[in-house]
Amino acid sequence: MTDTTAPIWIDPTDSQHPETPAREVVTNPFLSHQVTWDETTRFRPKMYLVGRLRYYYKWPGHGGALWTRTRYWPTRRRVLNIHGEYNPKTMRREKTIVDKRPIWWVLALAAFLIMPLFVPASSFNTAMSAASVFAIYAAINLCWMLVVGTAGIFSLATYAVVGAAAYGTTYMAIMLGLPWWLLPLAGVLIGLAFGLLIALPAMRLDGFYYALLTLGVVELCRVYVVQSRQFGSATGGLYGAPSYLPAGLSQTNRLLLGYYAALFVMILALFLYRFVDGKRLGRLLRMAQEKKEGFAQACGVDFIRARIMVFLISSAALGFIGGFYATHFGGASPNLFSFDTLLLSLAMLVIGGIGRAEGAVAGTLIVVFIDRVLIDLGPLRFVLIGAIMLGVVLFLRGGIFGIKSQFRAWRDKKKSERRSTRAEKGGEMLPEEATEVEDKDQVYFRRFDKMQRDFLKRLVSDAVIAEHKSKPLGQHSEALERLLIYFRRQGQVDKYAIMVLEEFKAYRIVALSGHRGTAPRMVEDRNYETPDEAYHALFLRRVQDLLET
Amino acid sequence: MNWGFIVTNAITLTCIYGTLAIGISVTWSSLGLVNMAYGFIFALSGYGAWLASVYIGPFPVVVMIAGILTGAIGGLIVCLLAFIPIHDKPNFPLRALIATLAISLVGNQILLWWFGPRAKSLPRLFGSWNADILGVVVTSDKLGASLSAILLLTLILLWMRSSRRGLEIRAMMMNPHAASIVGIGVRRTSIYVMALTGSLAGLAAVLLAQTYYVAPFSGITPMIKGLSIALVGGLGSIPGAVIGAIMLGVNESLTLTFLGGQYVLITQFLLIIVVLLIRPRGISGILDKAREA
Repeated sequence: MTDTTAPIWIDPTDSQHPETPAREVVTNPFLSHQVTWDETTRFRPKMYLVGRLRYYYKWPGHGGALWTRTRYWPTRRRVLNIHGEYNPKTMRREKTIVDKRPIWWVLALAAFLIMPLFVPASSFNTAMSAASVFAIYAAINLCWMLVVGTAGIFSLATYAVVGAAAYGTTYMAIMLGLPWWLLPLAGVLIGLAFGLLIALPAMRLDGFYYALLTLGVVELCRVYVVQSRQFGSATGGLYGAPSYLPAGLSQTNRLLLGYYAALFVMILALFLYRFVDGKRLGRLLRMAQEKKEGFAQACGVDFIRARIMVFLISSAALGFIGGFYATHFGGASPNLFSFDTLLLSLAMLVIGGIGRAEGAVAGTLIVVFIDRVLIDLGPLRFVLIGAIMLGVVLFLRGGIFGIKSQFRAWRDKKKSERRSTRAEKGGEMLPEEATEVEDKDQVYFRRFDKMQRDFLKRLVSDAVIAEHKSKPLGQHSEALERLLIYFRRQGQVDKYAIMVLEEFKAYRIVALSGHRGTAPRMVEDRNYETPDEAYHALFLRRVQDLLET
Repeated sequence: MNWGFIVTNAITLTCIYGTLAIGISVTWSSLGLVNMAYGFIFALSGYGAWLASVYIGPFPVVVMIAGILTGAIGGLIVCLLAFIPIHDKPNFPLRALIATLAISLVGNQILLWWFGPRAKSLPRLFGSWNADILGVVVTSDKLGASLSAILLLTLILLWMRSSRRGLEIRAMMMNPHAASIVGIGVRRTSIYVMALTGSLAGLAAVLLAQTYYVAPFSGITPMIKGLSIALVGGLGSIPGAVIGAIMLGVNESLTLTFLGGQYVLITQFLLIIVVLLIRPRGISGILDKAREA
């Protein structure tokens, strides 16, 4: 047989009648069913890595020291949370530090303590005053983080509390002659009173309404302070608060002492953050997250009370910092209330990441560094800060300290996408369906059936249809025979059949119901005059159904 | 007691602040975005108007159109930077608030860096004459500002009532999810909305620059006033914004006359706090239909 595009099939049964020439029909070229099998079972997807690497360093096993751990004295709390487990591959004992943040904090605080040793002498004044500003701002931002992150009250009036306390204590110090150590304590009272005042609307308003209202309060304070003669509208601020620095100190030592005092306040603020955010109040509020307040309330968590408590505590702390601000800088300036200060400090929170102490400190460090050390840039340094803030807001979900978890979430998403491309395709049943089906043979049968139909679809051609039209019954070429066998093998439900209305005159295509006692349904409103016509129409219907699946 | 002065002052302030408040309110209700960069758009369009008056000529129409166009461009910048990239991301309202604040910081500082800290003054758009209406002497800038604000606001509100785009914006204001289901593109509509509200800020900037000056940070106080008016009126409601503007305009001019300029903000915020304590969603805001963007 020549290998033409349209080979001729000779009916073998005609050899029984050698006197007549054999029937010849144009048919398909031979197509092995192996082709579809190979195509379906071939491994197509590009392989990416799936799974998780042991990327973090693990300490070797415990030896005898598993049960002796350093603990903080009155509590049973451990200094480092060390988790021990067996490596599933090597079955060796390994230790991991679950939370490495205490190490980083200790290193960072040690760096802050010894920082003055490494500052070049030429820029000592700038750097040390910037460092004390950093420490004070970090303390303020930690308290603000309690309000915004822990309590979830988006208050913008933090600096208004600080400023009110600073102005109030300075005014009291000038009028009453208070010593310096009373100023932070007086500031606590002022901060508490101011906090109570602005916490009142917080009980009724939510979200943006409160944020915009507090923005208005800040502007109100600024305008009042700028215009009020009592508070030094002429001198650009109110000065004259007593300083905590002893009188006979050299310039260098004054800067050093100021820096360490500010650092001490920052460490106090860190402790406050730890004890509010990590203890009862913080845990209550962590349960009453945004849009889950109703659930928390149903569980008996009085989250409004907890929020107001956190707000008042941090207001008192802000008042303390305000009093310290007054003794540190010798007064207060209206700059505390300006929109730019608000924006810069919001940038500090946002860059570090809202809701974490290290975010507040690191964000403050970055912003104060740009603001106070890169003074040569002029207004462009604010542009730089704003650009960093904008980039962080647009691309990061939790500030720079959220990068790790965001990256891991992204990597896990990619991994699961890759894992899903690995899943075997071509089976008819989806995995969810396959687990539900009782008879697991069905899963394999449908997978095979799909493959078979894929193969049979490729056999349908004009030549095959023409061959069927010329002789619906009898011996056929291989392609047509495969199709017909498949069609005949189908189940009785909705199988096409031919109904004889009147012999040799009228035939009609029906579909069997497959159930005893239920009549076949009519498929089309058309009669065929000969059985062969009816056979061929039925064949065309089945071919169409095959191609449509 | 000069009641005529109080009334004309109140009307002028109402018109200008109402323009700002309507812009803020429409942005919030249709996009769920508190546009904190409104002050920047305001200052930017003031500078746009000033540039036009210097380089093209001090014709009132040119200056006003330049201001409005720059405002629309500023709105588009905010939309492209702060709305389109993150409007479908988690925690959008807070992030958009912070992003617009960052835009405001960057934009104001760029204005300061480019134009310098010295204030610029726009030419008098409405000439300098006085009119006598029912025995009340009205200066030309007040009359012109009120009339042009009312005229343009009416035009914009008519456009929002009658045009296809206005219908889309109103649909977004009513229910953004349903609007997107019926085929109103969130991003496309956000561009119209931000251009529209930006041009409102530009209009207010040109009008307010008749009495004040154009300076890099001149937009912050008007923005805060506009925000508080939108807040008092109920974010997302145009009638509420008008009522809030009338309230605060009357309050401001009364305080100016009886107590003095430094008490304006104090009485204003006391008023706002009282209103918000009584009605936490503003005068015409509905309590349990807070927009959940």
